[in-house]
Amino acid sequence: MRNIFLIWRRELAASFLSPVAYVFMVMFLAMSGFVFLQMTEGFVGTFTQLPVLLFKVIVYFWMPILTTVITMRLFAEEKRSGTLEPLMTGPVTEAQVVLGKYLGALSFLIIATAPAISYIYILKYFSPGITYVDLGAIIGGCLFVFVLAAFCTSIGLVVSLVTKNQIIAAICCFSMVLLPFVAEFFVTLYPYTRDLEMSHFISLYENLVDFTRGSIDTRPLIMYGSGSILLLFLSVKIMELRKWK
Amino acid sequence: MIKVENLTKRFGRFCAVDNISFTVEPGEIVGFLGSNGAGKTTTMRILSGYKVATGGKITIAGFDVLRDALEVRRRVGYLPERVPLYTEMRVKEYLRYRGLLKGLKGKLLRQRLAEVVEACGLNDVKRKLIGRLSKGFRQRVGLADTLIANPEVFILDEPMIGLDPNQIRMIRELIKGLGGDHSVLLSSHILTEIESICDRVLIIDKGKIVASDSPANLAACMKNTRIIAEIDGDAEKILDTIKNIDSVIDIEMKKGAEWNTFICTCKENESEVRSEIFKLAGKNNWNMRELHSEQWCLEDAFVDITCRCAASKSDEELMK
Repeated sequence: MRNIFLIWRRELAASFLSPVAYVFMVMFLAMSGFVFLQMTEGFVGTFTQLPVLLFKVIVYFWMPILTTVITMRLFAEEKRSGTLEPLMTGPVTEAQVVLGKYLGALSFLIIATAPAISYIYILKYFSPGITYVDLGAIIGGCLFVFVLAAFCTSIGLVVSLVTKNQIIAAICCFSMVLLPFVAEFFVTLYPYTRDLEMSHFISLYENLVDFTRGSIDTRPLIMYGSGSILLLFLSVKIMELRKWK
Repeated sequence: MIKVENLTKRFGRFCAVDNISFTVEPGEIVGFLGSNGAGKTTTMRILSGYKVATGGKITIAGFDVLRDALEVRRRVGYLPERVPLYTEMRVKEYLRYRGLLKGLKGKLLRQRLAEVVEACGLNDVKRKLIGRLSKGFRQRVGLADTLIANPEVFILDEPMIGLDPNQIRMIRELIKGLGGDHSVLLSSHILTEIESICDRVLIIDKGKIVASDSPANLAACMKNTRIIAEIDGDAEKILDTIKNIDSVIDIEMKKGAEWNTFICTCKENESEVRSEIFKLAGKNNWNMRELHSEQWCLEDAFVDITCRCAASKSDEELMK
């Protein structure tokens, strides 16, 4: 646990020492704020549906790009600069390194995204018509963003492990992270898969709407959670395989 | 302390390390020499646990490198060739992180940190960003990282590359100081340093160990000896006369303004050849101001051994 904590702390510190992180945080907050504002201006509905709009902006507009930028350098950069060699010859296991780096990237993603939640409260402050914000909807939305971020980060981690080149890592990572987003599109494309029960719980939009209503469904939690664990296990195996090459 | 038995490493069809065996005793400093691509770095990477061998068995401090990888890594300080470091970190911050990762904490960590910063001459740069340091300082930061946990075994891949003469002297003394308590396997292309630091030298060529002995013994095993004589006289006559001595197999002359230097290569009986030249000088009225046999150094032995290996390899290929 100590080594995981140490690697996590270094990884998080390294993210904040990079100017790319700040540029991205500023761009993310500015763009998501702008898009959220535009969506609320033309919005017709009750204010209890506002969290759905906010989390839609976070998930659809930024999640693939944010996870790509944060995860592409995780191992690709270490391999390119050679820092993986002293790290892996120290008394640490492959699993500790993978988990430390994964948690570092995920923490940064959460820290970068969290301020966007304040938009709802800012909107409430300036709009007297909004009498209350449903905390359950906010918690549900945050939970969904968290599990989705955990899943996308684990995809990025695996991709970053198989290449030295950050550009290749970024392109592959972006394509792979888009998979959960396009999966529902492909499922709804064909009549025989559209009606399957499975199509509902892989549908990102349906899950997002459920969670931001405060209804926490365990099926997508288990799906993204087990997917993340599987990908982390795969990452450890890829790390172990690296020694044999 | 380090025991390598029949170590082999293949990359596809290419055999980087070919069935080598050697040991490094406790407290011994062993130089690991070889031309570029001979298999030094691959061997060191396998010993440090960064790569896994295709075949063979390695034990370090009684632990198997493959089965007890963590135990081995706790006991080994490995300095990679390129000394990769996190450039966005400050020197002290980096060493602290590495110390923590290697299991140090509290007072011991602070004490070791101060000791290695002092020993590697990093006091003036300890608050600087690693990315802003010169190559020599980065090398020293890498070495400090290797030293921080005070491991039993050191595997140092080119620790003196990129250092200035003063830094080389400092690192040499530091490595010398490690001997006795620690086992050190050290590779370098600066053979004079290896000669002055190491108790024993291993020479690897094309993945095979071709020599293992003390630097002095390796130099002494050189088959041919060179005799240098500075003689004033008829150069052609001197050349012919010396060439006729039985043991002399080759002679070359470097022309000077007044004195000519004759370099004789002889197979054996170097002292007899010298006295023969001395007698000939007296007999032929040559003026001679210098006559000595040249001491072979490790560099000569290294060149001789690796060239012999290359020659025998090409002979084998011709035979095929």
